[in-house]
This record gives sequence, C-alpha cells and structure tokens, in this order.
Amino acid sequence: MKTNAVTILDGAMGTMLQAAGLPVGALPELWNLTNPETVAAIQRQYVEAGSNVIYANTFGANRLKAAKSGHSPAELIAGGIRAARAAAGDAPVKVALDIGPIGQLLEPLGNLTFDEAYDIFREMVTAGEAAGADLVVFETMSDLTEVKAAVLAAKEHTRLPIWVTMTFEATSRTFVGVTVPAMALTLTGLGVDALGFNCSLGPEELLPMAEELRRWTHLPLILKPNAGLPDPATGAYTITPEEFAEAMEQALNLGVGILGGCCGTRPDFIAALSRRCGDQIPGSRPAPERHGVCSATCVTELNGVRVIGERINPTGKKRFQQALRERDLNYILQRGMEQQEAGAEILDVNVGLPGIDEPEMMTAVVKSLQSVVELPLQIDSSDPAAIEAGLRACTGKAIVNSVNGNRETLDAILPLCKKYGAAVVGLCMDHGGIPQTAEARIEIAERILGAALEYGIPREDVFIDCLTLTVSAQQEQAIETLKAVRYVTDVLGLHTVLGVSNISFGLPAREHITVSFLTQAMTAGLDLPIVNPNQAAVMDAVASFRVLSCQDRDSERYIARFADAAASPAPQPQAGASMTMEAAILKGLGQETAALARQALETMTELDVVNGLLIPALDLVGEKYERQEIFLPQLINAANAACQGFDVVKESIARKGQGSVSRGKILLATVQGDIHDIGKNIVKVVLENYGYTVVDLGRDVPVETVVEAAVREDIRLVGLSALMTTTVASMAETIRALRESGHDCRIMVGGAVLTPEYAAEIGADYYAKDAKQSADIAREVFGQ
Amino acid sequence: MEPRLDHIDENEVLRYLQYHGPVTSHEILSDVARCSGQILDTARPRAVWRIFDWDPDRPLPGTDFTPGGQDIRRLLKTCSQVILFGATLGAEVDGLLRRAQIRSMADAVILDCCASAAVENVCDNLCADLAASLPGYLTDRFSPGYGDFPFAQQPEFCRVLDMSRRIGVNLTPGGLMIPQKTVTALLGRSDRPQPRRSRCESCGMHETCEFRKEGASCEN
Repeated sequence: MKTNAVTILDGAMGTMLQAAGLPVGALPELWNLTNPETVAAIQRQYVEAGSNVIYANTFGANRLKAAKSGHSPAELIAGGIRAARAAAGDAPVKVALDIGPIGQLLEPLGNLTFDEAYDIFREMVTAGEAAGADLVVFETMSDLTEVKAAVLAAKEHTRLPIWVTMTFEATSRTFVGVTVPAMALTLTGLGVDALGFNCSLGPEELLPMAEELRRWTHLPLILKPNAGLPDPATGAYTITPEEFAEAMEQALNLGVGILGGCCGTRPDFIAALSRRCGDQIPGSRPAPERHGVCSATCVTELNGVRVIGERINPTGKKRFQQALRERDLNYILQRGMEQQEAGAEILDVNVGLPGIDEPEMMTAVVKSLQSVVELPLQIDSSDPAAIEAGLRACTGKAIVNSVNGNRETLDAILPLCKKYGAAVVGLCMDHGGIPQTAEARIEIAERILGAALEYGIPREDVFIDCLTLTVSAQQEQAIETLKAVRYVTDVLGLHTVLGVSNISFGLPAREHITVSFLTQAMTAGLDLPIVNPNQAAVMDAVASFRVLSCQDRDSERYIARFADAAASPAPQPQAGASMTMEAAILKGLGQETAALARQALETMTELDVVNGLLIPALDLVGEKYERQEIFLPQLINAANAACQGFDVVKESIARKGQGSVSRGKILLATVQGDIHDIGKNIVKVVLENYGYTVVDLGRDVPVETVVEAAVREDIRLVGLSALMTTTVASMAETIRALRESGHDCRIMVGGAVLTPEYAAEIGADYYAKDAKQSADIAREVFGQ
Repeated sequence: MEPRLDHIDENEVLRYLQYHGPVTSHEILSDVARCSGQILDTARPRAVWRIFDWDPDRPLPGTDFTPGGQDIRRLLKTCSQVILFGATLGAEVDGLLRRAQIRSMADAVILDCCASAAVENVCDNLCADLAASLPGYLTDRFSPGYGDFPFAQQPEFCRVLDMSRRIGVNLTPGGLMIPQKTVTALLGRSDRPQPRRSRCESCGMHETCEFRKEGASCEN
C-alpha cells in the first residue's frame, strides 16, 4: 500500500447486513456460509464506491462468539475472505481480515487471561492468512491489553501487515480508560503498520483526537468514523454523505491517509468520500514532537524530571523478601500505590530473590500492579527470561532496566526491547567493571547507544545510567558521575537515569548527601532519578528543581504541594499511656495499634503480643459486631488496625529470622465462573488479622486448582465464596471434587445467595454468614 | 437524554450495609458521605436504550430476542411498546473498588454499597427522563433474573442493545456483566396508568438481600 496516496476503506458492514435482513443480535459471520452472495453484493457496492481496501465479514469470527454457530472460526473466516475476494473481482482492491474485540474482557477487568486471548487471535490470524487475506485489521478495540495480545499473535504467527484502530468516547478515552497518547506509544513500539480510530463518534468529534495522535507517532494514520451520532431510540445515524466527506477532508489535511466509515456509512458515504478525497495527497505531517513511556491509561512524557520509584525491590528489605516468599502480592501492591501517591511517575519493579521463580513472579507482580496502579513500569532484572515475562505481561510502553556494555547482554536483551517496544536503561559498565573516569563511562554509553540503534531502537528510547558510587568509599567518583551525566545529556542528547540513594550509603544523616547529590545531578541533566518517593526531602528537592529550571510553570505544582502541607501538619501517632490496644483496635487506629505493639514487644514475646493483646481485642470487636453495636465497616477497620499490629510482629519475626506465629492455614477461593470477590476479600482480611495464614487463590478459580492447592498446602479449612445463583453450582462441584480427592479438610461457604440449608445441601461443613462467623469457624477447626 | 448520576441515597447505602434501625454513629455517616463523594467523582455513567413495539407472541421487531417468562407478560399486559435499557457506572468504578480493596477494605465495603445505590440512581433518572419524554405511562423496570425472567437471557439482552460497543459492557462466560455496577432492565409503555410494585420487590438487592433471607425487610 502506497503511503503517499490516499487509501479509501469501506463503510458499515453491520448496518448493511441488518438492512438485508440479518436480525439484530445474530452472528453476522454465519452469512459468509449461508448467504455469501448477499455479503459479496454489499462489499461490491463499496468497491464500486471507490474502496481500495475492503474488510472481510470476519469481525466476530472468534471461537467464543462462533461457539454456537456450528462452524469453526477458520470456516467462517475462509468464507468471509472468499466473499470479499468475489466482491473485489478484478479490481485492484486489497482484502483485510477484520477482527474485533473478543467480546469478553481480559483480566483484571474480566476473567479472560492474556494467553487465552492470544490463542483466540492466533487461531483467527492464521486462518486469515491461509485464506489469502492481504492484511489484518484489529478494530473497535477498547483495551490495550487485548490489542497487545492480538498484535503479538499476528506478529508471531503470520507475515500479514497489521493495522489497529481503537474506539474512543468524546472524553478522548476508551471505555476502559486508554488515552490517545498511550495507544500511540504502545502500538508504535509494538511495530504495527498503521493505527487510528474507528466507530465511537462521527468524523467531526474524532478530528481533535487525530490531531493529538499525530503528535505521538510517525506511523500512517487511519480514520473510520460513524455517520455522526446515533439516535438513542432507534439507533439510526444522522449526518449526510456530503457532510461526512467534508469532515473527512479535514482529517486528510492533517495527514490522515487511510479513510473509511463505520456504523451508518452506507455505500453513498464512501462514494462521496472517494469523490472528495480519493485523488488527493494527504497533508504533510511534522515529525512527532512528543515521547514518553506509558501504561494503558497514563503517559509519563519525557520532557523534564520524572521520578522513578525504587521501593518495589527486595534488596536489603527483609519484609519485602518475606512478602515475595509468601506470595503476599497485596504487600507489594501497597508499596506501588504508596509511591504513586507520593509522586512517583514511573515504578521500578524488581522481584529477584534466590529461591523465587523470577519470570513467573515478574508476570504476577506486573499484572497485579497494573490492576491498581496507573504508572508506567520499569522492568528491573538481569535475567532475560524475567525481562521478557515482565514485558509480555506489561500493558503500555515499559522501560527495561537494564543492559550494560557487554556484547552478549546487549544481544540478549535489546531484541526484547525492540520486540515489545520498550525503552532501555544502559549501565555504563562492562566486563572491566565500572570505569573510574567519566570519559570511559561515556565510551560505554556510546557503545550501548550504537547497539540499540543497530537493533532498531529509536534514540529517544535509550536511557543511560552513569552509575552512582558510594561517596563514603570512593569520594572522587561523585564528580565523575556528574561529568558523565552532563556529557550524555548535552552531547549525546539522551535521557539519563541514576539510582541516587546509593551515594550516601554508610554515612550518618544520609538524607543530606542524597538530596544534595540529587540536586547537582539534576542540574547536570539527570531527568530520571530512581529514588524513594516516600522521602519528603527527596520529593521536595525535585519540586524545587522543577521551579528553578522552569519545568514547573508559575510554580503551580510547588505551591500546590506546600499549600496542603502548611494547612494540615501530619499528626504524629504516639502510643500514649492513655490508650490501650483494645481501644486502639476498636477505634480502628492502625498507627496507634502498631506503636502499641512495638512498645509491647519491648517486654513481651511475639506470641504473647498476638495471643494476649491482639486476639482478645479482636474478640471484643467480634462480640460488639454480633450484638450489632458495630457494623461491617467498623469490624473491618478494627481488623485493619489489628493488621498493623500484626505487621509489627511479623517484621520483628522476620528480623530475627524465626518461624511464623500463624494460628493455622486457610485456603480461600471465589469459585469458577464468579468474579465478584469482595466478600471473599473481606473474609481474607479478617482471618489474616485474626492471625491465620490465608492462601488466597483469587476469583474464578477452577475446581482442580482448589483441590490441588488444598492437597499441596495440606489445608485443613477451605473457604469458598459464590455471589450468584448461577455459580453456586460450581461451588457444589468444587466441594464434590474436594471430597472425592480424599483430602481431609473442612469446608465453609459463603455468599449472598447462600443459606444454611443450601450450604448443607451442597455438602459444606459450615455456612459462614459473614466474615466474623468465618473467624469463629476457624477457631472451632483449629482450636485456640 | 444523557445518563445522570446526581445523588446517592444515604439510607439506601446504610441498608445495603445491613444497618438496622436508627444510626447512632456519626463516623459511619461521614464515611458514607466521603465514599459517596468518591463514587460521584469517579463514575462515568453511560446508558443505552431502545424502544420496540411489543407483541408477547413474537420476538422484538428486527431481532430474534423474545424476553421470557410470565411475569413480563403480566407487567406488559396493557403495553404497546417495551423499552430495553442498560446503564453502567463504567470501568472507572471497578478500578476504584479494586484499589480500595488494597488500601482499605472498610472503605471498599462502603464504596461498593455506594456504587450499588449510585447505579440505581442512574436507572431512576433514566426512567424518569423516559417517562417525561414519552407519551403515556411507564411500568416499573424489570431485570433478567427477577421473577421468572431468565437470567440466562442476559447475553441476548446485551447483544440486542449492542452494549459492548455502545457502553462498554461485556459479559463473562457465566453471564455476569462487567463493569460490575451495571443494570439491564426493560419497562413497558402503556396508554393506561401503571401500578407500582412494593419497594422491596423492585429493589436492586431483591435477590440477595440478607433481610429477606431472614424473612424480614429493611423497612421493619
């Protein structure tokens, strides 16, 4: 396809099929086999109207939507391509394999896994290529994770050119919050051949988004809007073919070269479009002026200092290591959310620890983090398998931390960065260690840049780490680092990264040295400091620097930061003599509970603090709940407060390297088919805060997974939840399988539609009407 | 007619939280107010609706969908048209609920109840707007899973409204809607005034209500 000429696409397929008698709600792709002449006749009208590319009638020909049709995706797709070819006849028209959303949402929004989505798309694209499609178009997409699965499936299994168009609302976001720049950065990185918008709105409404899109990508742009906005009562569209073509001409002038129509655009719309725009040359486009990294919903533009949070890293952190070993993802997620709130703009993610399956853990942590934190991620590992696992799981444009000057490292990791469209951090070191002079480090930086360019990674995606050495050990090295940062910034024109805190290791009052070095480094050009954003002094230094370097125009952010601080000085929790553990927990005061626990540990053992203070306080809370003196939120608040007390105890145990104080191990799962897991999560919080270890299998858990885990972990109490009547059946099945396995365990069940009678009927030992009762059951099973 | 979320009923939230009787704790009221504020800020209500001529013996015109069960026939007995709608608070609220569950489960529970009350408010407003703009009288709304209207028809219902494309609502294989705070329902339009069912019967929590399970209602 020539890029200097306009490409005219086709118009509405669904609209035309419905006009031809397809009932609303029926599977349109079935007509490829039952009414191929009707399908081809519609497409022929578009060919006659001037389309150069027609989309085959294959939008929903995936295995899930086709399941009840009696035909495989391959059959429906082959029929669709055949009909389109017949419509094209001898005309110089390309046929696109058209693929829409699967129709079920991927995790974390829904319960379809990335790998399942990938496999569904793989089946479709290979069928399309075999049937003779000239290219594949993924359209009407809302979720960038789904798009990523689609693009990777097409790249890894076919040689077809790939176009992607997504559907945006008037807010310039998709239904799941994807922004235009995030789409642009992600898809440009993944190496699609063209991208843009379809459906959603009329051409007028999409123009500003097209304008935004071209600032972020150099790739060819596609616009396939609806015929205006639909009448809600009837679903009919409103603008005329001429109005449509006129608005599309404005897109053409912006440099959008691939034009067509979506819902409501009958052949007369495409004819008007073709008449008006078909012979023109798209307007010239300036080089994209903006770049950055992103998640699906948040872009961190690289045009000033951007803080990378360093706290998701087990190095030197006993509590974090314990969380990794116990697979306590919530602890890790809290570290992520905390840093986002403290002002981090990118999160470094390092989960390397001896004895941990790092690639598997990287996948789990990246996925979970992206379900609650918006920030772009920096995948931090030295293991190429863990890096690839992280990149595959990560939606958006990530950063890889890191490569160094060794050829074998560059050859192992740079191709991954290229494939997944990630930026890369290059450390100024190699086989010879860390060079002692700025000049030698710069030489390595240039070597890394050269290798990245060879692999096709654009210059702006290469970040250099000139390395911070500890000033207490190698005092003269601080100056060399700053020299190198200045050169890499000014002469090579690259972004620079530095792990800043290392500078002050081994010195007292470290913060002074760290902050002073950070300020000097930013002055030298450092724009991606890796720091602890929870340290106020560090973030204050960044805020100040942004004012002094004109990055914070009119000091707006600075004023906002300190206006809040002046208004409300943070209260310092004190374990005053006046408050008892019982009162602190009952009132839900977590910090006070923690302080009291710390105080108690000075004179008591960990076990005594748990059994003598925390549990009795929780028991009192439970009694009040039973008597309806307090309600669920207060019960949970109290449990949360107790949790902070337990955390202090856990930390103390981790420091001493002792075993746990667990009162017993309980398995929890929301059964297969059910994704409403808030009830199960409440039970989890309460049980954990009563001192039990909870193995949480999550939601939508297959029967065999529950059985396997119960046996493997030697679980004596299993808790199952189901919210819907429809999923209680799968709860019954899980119970049956647990019994048949012969594993000796008790089973408690809960959920909105259950009753004690129903629980007994499906073979459960206990019905837990709420979280409090689940703790009572646990006590009965495990004893005191 | 834009979908509107303008109010979260405090008493409804407290009922969902299973509060009985008068609320004595000032804290819970301020928590509910704070959480309601977060839902009002976060939700991006979206709705889609279509009007069909109603003939109980035929699929809805232009579709192959026949809403099932006798309850609907009774509800629509004097109606010449039926309106199908879907309304959602959007994926933004799901995200808020996910984050809250990591940060504070107590807040998550309150937010969840506020969101349930909020989607009811969106439905109330939509039905009021429909009643104001259409001639005649509208019945109460009735959702798949209520009475003998099969929950299993949820997929067809969503397809007829093209809910995935129009408002971003998708189904899991088990027929659950995502975003979670989403309601589908139908209501009839008649030339004759329509009776109201009891508040309990038309409540969004009807099928899972803890009060009802115990043989009571939140009103006593």
